[in-house]
Order: sequence, then structure tokens, then C-alpha cells
Amino acid sequence: MNTVMPGGGQPIPGLEDQPVNATVLRMLLGSQLRRLREAAGITPEQAGSHIRASRSKISRLETGRVGFKLRDVADLLTLYGMTDEQSRSGFLSLARQSSAPDWWAKYGDVLPDWFETYLGLESAASVIRSFEIQFVHGLFQTEDYARAVTKLGRRSALTGEIEHRVALRLRRQELLARPNPPRIWSVMDEAVLRRPVGGPAVMRAQLQQLIKAAELPHVTLQVVPFARGGHAAASGSFTVLRFEEHDLPDVVYAEQLTSAIYLEQRSDVEHYLEVMDQLSGEALTPAATVRFIGQVARET
Amino acid sequence: MTSGETPAGVGTTSGGTARKARPLPFDTSVANQARIYDYLLGGKDNYAADRAAAEAALKLVPDGAFTARANRAFLGRAVRYLAGEAGMRQFLDIGTGIPTAGNTHQVAQAIAPETRVVYVDYDPVVLAHARALLTSHEAGATDYIDADLRDTETVLSQAARLLDFTRPVAVTLLAIMHAIPDDDDPYGIVATLMDAVPSGSYLALSHLASDALDEKTQQSLEELTDRMVQDRMVQQQFTYRTREQVARFFAGMDLVEPGLVRVEEWRPDPGTPAGGTSLLWCAVGRKP
Repeated sequence: MNTVMPGGGQPIPGLEDQPVNATVLRMLLGSQLRRLREAAGITPEQAGSHIRASRSKISRLETGRVGFKLRDVADLLTLYGMTDEQSRSGFLSLARQSSAPDWWAKYGDVLPDWFETYLGLESAASVIRSFEIQFVHGLFQTEDYARAVTKLGRRSALTGEIEHRVALRLRRQELLARPNPPRIWSVMDEAVLRRPVGGPAVMRAQLQQLIKAAELPHVTLQVVPFARGGHAAASGSFTVLRFEEHDLPDVVYAEQLTSAIYLEQRSDVEHYLEVMDQLSGEALTPAATVRFIGQVARET
Repeated sequence: MTSGETPAGVGTTSGGTARKARPLPFDTSVANQARIYDYLLGGKDNYAADRAAAEAALKLVPDGAFTARANRAFLGRAVRYLAGEAGMRQFLDIGTGIPTAGNTHQVAQAIAPETRVVYVDYDPVVLAHARALLTSHEAGATDYIDADLRDTETVLSQAARLLDFTRPVAVTLLAIMHAIPDDDDPYGIVATLMDAVPSGSYLALSHLASDALDEKTQQSLEELTDRMVQDRMVQQQFTYRTREQVARFFAGMDLVEPGLVRVEEWRPDPGTPAGGTSLLWCAVGRKP
């Protein structure tokens, strides 16, 4: 990896010994461009008009949500007064690396833009905390369970499309087995375990799969049992993603029917973190959770 | 996990003191020690109120962040000493804090995988993180107790689910006793804990100093923390203590070399650059 970083010329700690993730590179490049822009006293509108783009395009670039065109990066650097050739080439090299195609590019036909962003963040995260009220987390789904979930909202979809979606979900799970995997801390409502998606046989296998996942050292599962009464997450499922690089903000992801919200303002994120901390405190311990899932499996 | 037996001495050593044990409410609008400490260590499991309180203190004491890091490093060296040279296989870690890298069980179990560690804290955010993350997957075991350390009876009886109190135990009280005001009998609490463990057990303790800063800065710092407590900006009051007062926690024990020093001075790893001057006294003592 190229450790000549733009700006301070310092390598980013932790990146040297890891496979380079395009999303992280985009986020890092974006945040450095934002710093340069702010230091130069230039508004997002001015920056946008300089590269014939909108204010929101600048915002998406600076949060690493979209890929960079080399020419845009070069134009922005000039606008921001960055003339040092070595620093410029560091930035441009980073931009080049961050536009490498991601593995999910071949699933483009079944992959809405808003979910593609999530895949990038998920694969870049060092900690993934989720609360699930309805379905088992995608990273732990069995193939049959994933197929049953996929068919739910798409009664008229062709088999090929369903299978493509299922394949994408299973491909995501390779994250669990990669070297230096993220810590995945998933809290789920008891309803997730009780709703027999795909029928009792599929669900029993799914519950066994969860018990197996809980054995992984980087996976923590917790159930909030019905017996606990109401819980802190009045709204619904959500995920908080944290990144190894200290400068990158935590991101909250909450999926809706045809879109998703991404929050990274610290004040927004903190509200979700607080709910997540409360839920984790109310939930069964990881050891009790495994026993609980086993009990539900026997009753399914 | 072992079954719960009452450890030797519990119930007979509390001295009849009615200590006030208070569960800490889940309230992120008020700063608290565990989350301020997380912030000073560079963690992200803290909230706006915690950062505001920490930043106010850092203005007066720029070495505050160094102090937090130095305490964390002391934890690592002390636990390494206790599990290594001292041969401890049981730890009672009171005032666990929000888990970060190099937690007690990870350090100890890296040396002796069969080591058993019981964590104790009364902070609801610590509870959420510690119960989920401080788990062993190896030969050893960990347990978490949600209790106020003033309630020594609960701490000791629940710790006995995992620890054998007929064999030596290393008790760690790092950056926690200054959260116990004199009215709550801090010396009695430590004595009760150490009475419950047999000869050959150890105590590791670090404590905010009242005599580490120049008088004026110290006074400003104490005024600041008092004001924050009065304004309900922080959940805990701090009681800074002198070196002599900290030494009293080790009454009747033999201090391990180099004795009672600042946390960064306790058996520093060779080649560690001086990063500042901490505000914490510390020592490791052996119960004869």
C-alpha cells in the first residue's frame, strides 16, 4: 500500500498491514478534502460549482459515499490551493486506489445504490453493532432462511433474481471468515427467534446456525426476551458501524422499504448508541443467549 | 462457572458499617467517570456531557489524557506482574470501566490461560459492554458482577461463583477509590475485601492524587469538580488523596518494589519515553 499520505505526509496508522478497502480510502480521502476545503474557507457550493456539481455531490464525496473522478480531485486540490506536486500525487494516487471496483459490482442488477453504500461501510467497519426486531442479521442467515426472506417482499420475482439476491447475501458472509474480521455485536428481539421464516425446519436450522456463529470469538449475540417487557428501540432495526481509523465517525444505518437512512452527525449517532447500550444492558448475557436460542430451537 | 458458595469471612468482616450502595442511573446527559475515562483513552463510547466535562478538566490539567493512558498501561504491567512473577490465577477487578484493548482477562490469560477473572462495576454503560465483550473463549473464565463496590457483601458473595476464596486472589482497584468519599468508609471497604482473601493474595490500586499538582492548580481542579457535581454535570464526586492517604489502603501489606509511586513510574517497560506526569499514585501490595 502507498503510505505516502496527502496532507501531513503521515501514513494512516493501522492501514499498512491490512488489505486496502476502497470505502475506507474514499472516506479518508473525503475527510481530508473537507479539511482542505474548510482551511481554504471555501463553501461546499463554491467547491461544487468549480467541478460542475451540486452541494450535495460535494457532501457525498467528502463522506466517501461515492467514487472520485481523478479530474475532480485535481480541480478541487487546485481550488483549495494545494500546489505541492508530491502532496497532489499522493491525493491522486489515493483517489485511483479508492476507485477500484468492489466485489459486489457484479450484483448491480439486484443492488440498489442505498444498499451498495451499506456494503461498503460494512466491509470497512471494525465494529458492527446491530439491533434486529424482525429477521436474523444478514451476516448470520442460512441459505434457506435468506431465500425465504428474499421471497417475502417479491412474490412475482423470477427465480433467477431471487437466487442472485441470495448469492449476494451469502457472499457478504465471507466477512466473518476473513483475517482480522470486524467485531459483530448483534442484539435481537425474541421475535426474531420465534418467527418461523421459511417454516419450522428452515427456522430450526437457522437457530442452530446462530448458536454456531456465537462460538466465533469476534461475534457476540444477545437476545432481549419478551419477558423483559418493552424495550428502548421504539422504532425498529438499526446498525451502528465503527471504523478503526479514529477520525472516521460512527455511522448509523437504518433500512426502510425502498431506501435507507445514514446518520453520522455525532448528536444523531449518540442517540442511537444510547439506545443500543440500553438494549445491550437489558438483553440476556451472551452465554444465556445461547441457552435461550437452544430452548427456542427445541420449541420450534 | 463454579457454584456459589459463600467465601470465608464474608458477613463477619463488614464491621457493621452501613455503607451507601447506589446503583448508577442510565443517564447520558450527565457525565460519569467510566465514559470520561473512555474519552481520555480515545474511545468512542462516550457522550457529549462526558466530553464537555473531560475537556473542562483538560484545560486545567493538560496531563489528564496522559494520566488515563498511564493508568491503562499500569493495569497492563501490574496484571502481567501478578499473573507472571506473582503467579496469581484469580483476579477480582473492581471498577472495570468500558472495555478497551488489553483488558485484565486478556493480559492475564495470555500468560496463564486458566486464569479466572471477575469484573465488578456499577455503571450501566459498562454493564452493557462488559457483559457482552469481556468473555473468555479459552480454558479460563470470566464473570461480570453489576454491583456498587460499597456493597462488599454482594461483591464477595457473587465473586465466589467463579473465584475460590481459599486460594490467593489478586484484587485490582484502579482509579476507583477516589470515587468513594470519606463518609463511605473507603479504608473499611478495602479492608473488608482484603480480609476475604487468604495470605499470599495481592492488592493493586491507583488513586487520584491531591498532592501531585501545584497548590493553585489542585485547588482549581477540585473547585471545578465540586462545581460540576453541584451543577449535576457529573455523576460522581471525586475525593483526591495524598500519597500518605493512599498508602493507608495498604496497611498491613508488603509493597512490591518500587513501592508507592506515580502510575508511570511503576516498573515501566524499558525504553518507554516519558509522556507526561500523571495524577495517580499507585502500588501493588502482598498480603502476608
